[in-house]
Amino acid sequence: MLSIENLHATVAGKPILNGLTLSVGVGEMHAIMGPNGAGKSTLAYVLGGRPGYEVTEGSVRLDGRDLLEMSPDERAAAGLFLGFQYPVEIPGVSNVQFLRTALNAQRRARGEAEVSAGDFLRLAREQGEKLGVSMDMMKRGVNVGFSGGEKKRNEMVQMGIVDPRLAVLDETDSGLDIDALRVVGDGINRIMRRPDKAVLLITHYQRLLDIVEPDFVHVLAEGRIVRSGGRELARQLERQGYGAIAA
Amino acid sequence: MTLLELPSPKAEDWRWSDLSSLPALAEAPHGALDLQRLRLPWLDCRGPRLLFVDGRLDPARSAPGCLSVGPVDADAGDHPLGRLIGGDGWTLRLGPNHAPPGLVQIVHVSTGGPDHLPAAIDLDADAQASVVETFIGEGWANRATRLALAPHARLMLARRILASGGFVSLTDRAELGQGASLIVTTLAAGGADTRLDGKILLAGDGAFTEAGGALLARGRQRHDANLIVRHAAPGGTSRQVWRSVADDRAVCSVAARVEVARDAQKTDGEQSLKGIMLSRAATINAKPELEIFADDVKCAHGATVGELDRDALFYMASRGVPETEASALLTRAFVADAIDRAGEEEVREAMHADAEGWFG
Repeated sequence: MLSIENLHATVAGKPILNGLTLSVGVGEMHAIMGPNGAGKSTLAYVLGGRPGYEVTEGSVRLDGRDLLEMSPDERAAAGLFLGFQYPVEIPGVSNVQFLRTALNAQRRARGEAEVSAGDFLRLAREQGEKLGVSMDMMKRGVNVGFSGGEKKRNEMVQMGIVDPRLAVLDETDSGLDIDALRVVGDGINRIMRRPDKAVLLITHYQRLLDIVEPDFVHVLAEGRIVRSGGRELARQLERQGYGAIAA
Repeated sequence: MTLLELPSPKAEDWRWSDLSSLPALAEAPHGALDLQRLRLPWLDCRGPRLLFVDGRLDPARSAPGCLSVGPVDADAGDHPLGRLIGGDGWTLRLGPNHAPPGLVQIVHVSTGGPDHLPAAIDLDADAQASVVETFIGEGWANRATRLALAPHARLMLARRILASGGFVSLTDRAELGQGASLIVTTLAAGGADTRLDGKILLAGDGAFTEAGGALLARGRQRHDANLIVRHAAPGGTSRQVWRSVADDRAVCSVAARVEVARDAQKTDGEQSLKGIMLSRAATINAKPELEIFADDVKCAHGATVGELDRDALFYMASRGVPETEASALLTRAFVADAIDRAGEEEVREAMHADAEGWFG
């Protein structure tokens, strides 16, 4: 589904990704772990198309299409969902309004019919309830006044509503207590653990991986994948630290 | 033919205005615009209404009710544009405790050329009214309005400036008695240049005013608002909330001043002037001013000018919202801060729709 070949990227002229190659097949869940500064968030932003993250070499294909040629909104319509480590607050724009606009923009771009206001509210209520996000919160400004945990749950609500093919989740577990971690992890499993979908989970810690069990674990260091393995690699990392594994 | 004497751009209060189109507009004939093809912007509300075409009452399409048309002294003789205005105009005069049913609507159509019209709103004690004035067309609509609010009178005045071209200049003089309340909300969302002048005097104890609005400009358009709120008595409250959006090479300017006289203790004043530039060539001027002679007052003021939040734009794009749509959503939210202050729900909704029309 996702094929990254020899990806090099710079931020403000500084090389961060240095020849990253990774292939994610349909139905698979991959975790990327690595120390601070390894390039984990840069990888997420490059895949999402954030301005300022410049690809200098390599290719990224999603379902055979050149992802790097697309604008960020086109990538979303093509099925990519980027979960933010720090979800952005947007005062004055309600979650409901934002998500309905987003969902319908994606559907338009794919040549599908728009969702009516009534159908959308039903969808929003249903997805919100599963993650403990009330309609009252859905009617408030996007992430405005939300706690860290509420913001992450709201990311999962958004993911449930737009129903992507591929989710790239950037430290979705950061700032979560153990209960919130369970809710978010269950959300990832429920929404994305499907034979036609795939996940790239970027994380520091083992603990989310106990809930969302990845099929593959990769270690990112200095901008490239230095080691790949199964679930047991994450536990080994937890025991021995990045230094021993990445060296 | 009268010679049009205009203030020099060297004068501090006029340096951001561009009056260069006025001499030609002042000489242009009426009637360049076909009235039959215009949709009149009435709101679907009961209440008295007046239609002025080029400053003249159209009786067939008016329902004056408690409004009258005749000679008006709008008290703007000291203003360079206000002093051009004289003769007949409209008046809303309400006796004690009176409140006209519904919304008072005044629609001004300028078909080309100049039209000068005075107006007065006199509210006796405890009277209350909601008035909305809407400007369409492409001439020069020049207005001077005197607002007199007796103790505990309440007036909500909304201006929708939707003229497709030309110039709209509004000069207001307001005086508020004890406990009176005046809310003036102005939206400029058409293609005309504007010059808005207001002087609001809080003469009685505990008077309240909110005066602000949203200025939307693109192309080479210019909006220029100048507002002075003077607290002359104790315990008054004033809020000036302005939101400016400038695209292309447009210029939006807001100068808002709060004056607090020596006796006006316990004054609570707030100014919030914010601007967003949608293009690098656009200009926003914001000039908040405080002049305080009393010692026990609370006056907050803030002015910010910037671009749309890039993090928010990327966040929205990552969810599939194209950049133009994301910009429009953020800009609408920004403008809503000012529009939502309009008192009546119908008026707020109309203003949101007007802004929506501007965003296209």
